[in-house]
Amino acid sequence: MAFGRTDELIPPEGVPLQFRIAGLGVRTAAQICDIMITGVGALALFLLLLALDLVTPETAIAIATMLFFFIRIPYYAAIELMWNGQTVGKRLMKIKVVAADGQSLTAQSLVVRNLMKEAEVFLPGTLLLTLDGAQTAPAIFSLLWVACVLAVPVFNRRRRRLGDLIAGTYAIHLPKPVLLKDMSQPGQNSPTGQSRFTFLTHHLEHYGAFELQTLEGLLRASGMPKGPAQYQRHKDTLAAVVEQVRRKIEYADRVRATEHQAFLTAFYKAQRSYLEQRQLFGDRRTDKHHATSADKS
Amino acid sequence: MDDTILIRSARFRQEREADWRKLSALVDKAETKGLHRMSFAEARDLADLYRQATTSLSIAREISLDRGLLDYLEALTSRAYLSVYAPQQRLGGLVHRFLAIGGPQAIRSSWRVILLAFLCMAAGTVAGYFFYFENPDWFYVFMPTELSGGRGPDASTGYLRDQIYEAHGESGLGAFATYLFSHNTRVAIFVFGLGAFLCAPSILLTFYNGLILGVFFALHVDRGLGWDLFGWISVHGVTELSAICIACAGGVKLGLAVLFPQDKTRVAALRAAGHDAVKLALIAALMLVVAALLEGFARQLIQDLTTRVAVGWGIGALWVLWFLRGGRNS
Repeated sequence: MAFGRTDELIPPEGVPLQFRIAGLGVRTAAQICDIMITGVGALALFLLLLALDLVTPETAIAIATMLFFFIRIPYYAAIELMWNGQTVGKRLMKIKVVAADGQSLTAQSLVVRNLMKEAEVFLPGTLLLTLDGAQTAPAIFSLLWVACVLAVPVFNRRRRRLGDLIAGTYAIHLPKPVLLKDMSQPGQNSPTGQSRFTFLTHHLEHYGAFELQTLEGLLRASGMPKGPAQYQRHKDTLAAVVEQVRRKIEYADRVRATEHQAFLTAFYKAQRSYLEQRQLFGDRRTDKHHATSADKS
Repeated sequence: MDDTILIRSARFRQEREADWRKLSALVDKAETKGLHRMSFAEARDLADLYRQATTSLSIAREISLDRGLLDYLEALTSRAYLSVYAPQQRLGGLVHRFLAIGGPQAIRSSWRVILLAFLCMAAGTVAGYFFYFENPDWFYVFMPTELSGGRGPDASTGYLRDQIYEAHGESGLGAFATYLFSHNTRVAIFVFGLGAFLCAPSILLTFYNGLILGVFFALHVDRGLGWDLFGWISVHGVTELSAICIACAGGVKLGLAVLFPQDKTRVAALRAAGHDAVKLALIAALMLVVAALLEGFARQLIQDLTTRVAVGWGIGALWVLWFLRGGRNS
């Protein structure tokens, strides 16, 4: 969740969901994939036509333009409709179109956003390709147009292009659900469990959710396989964290080096249980400054 | 494991984890196979478990501080939401509904803008006509050379007549393709696409297109070929020029939404206008295809003036009938 902009979307169930907005780079990559796919399709048909030798070369070019046009326009709308807002390129890039109002995508909006693609992507694209250096006015005009079209997604928060704005859609990264281990349950790292260390209320008053979740990340990292150098560094980090925590919460007993992991796991569990309990009573502690910020307000 | 040593949020997770895993498997299936190929029981479970997962998520946000669990539930619920609220329509049904109901209704509800577009083109035509009679040199100002095909004030009357009645060039598929991507289709795409960038380019282009038509017509009237040209243009022009006007109307609708959003935000107004505008664009595209067919096949086959007029305007009348009658009952 730390990277990329996120956006809140409220489905009909009324539980807001966070999505990561797909940036310009990944969307351009998906677009290029799609252009290549439709291009190859049109090219194959065109070669077939040439091979059949029915028409003169000039006519064949006109027919090729028509084929390319007919293949690419329905391709986007139809495939996004069939695959719920994904084209082949979008599938490869693991992004997806969603409706901004949280309802399901309609055929209407998918057709709109892909028709506008014609005016936004392809027309300026072909204009640029066929640009004549000698004619200044059309060149400047088409460059201006391309600049305008590119500016629209850069200057809005959800990176929507003009077609997205009209259709009320935007593109997101598909979330990937991975269920990680609950760190409050004893695993193979701490077979002796939690009884060795006891924490009292005054030990647990110091930290908030932010520190707790940082500790959670550290504990998760200790379960992963490491090289010798990494292992040593991890051990040093654990030792430093244990020292810092002991000093902060004024935990008097010394912790042996072999027990650092067990100490932190036990502390994590006690701290989480305490904070969750406070939260149930309406006392949400976001970080270690909770006491001072509560005084101020 | 003994329940008493688990903290509350861990117990919460333990009780529901099996359901979440089941939902995750169902979502994977829905994404790869498609919702409509799942069995009834699976589809029902998917919807059920999804709603349970949304509840779990909102409870977890209140009671749990386990980052791993929160991220998982967030991602799982989002993913399930995306497959539960997937579009349910089939392509065939959509096409049918558009042709039978949506298209004609969109035309009827935006008759004012369409009228405006037709007036623009008519004004252009009239202006072009009088420009020519004031000074025939205006012809060269307005008419793009690649479009005139050698026809101009310098050409002989016989040559002009030949262009109208001789079967020149090829007919069939090649001609169809060539005509479809001729000047008029490009104009139609531009007048629609440019509409969203405020209305002016759409209206100006339509007016300019009228000017071209006007000077061209005036040239032939000057040589006493007015009716012959009328027949020649009628075959495909009734459909094709109407398509340009309808595309222009779609563009103007978008532009008007940007200029005068009334009590909505500009984005919301653009969305609302986009609803009809796109239908207009699709109808214009359909008409352009028909026009190219007429131009590629019918114009070469029919050489008689009255038949040409009859075919052109007859098809025009069919369009009007479709626009007026389609989707009345529902």
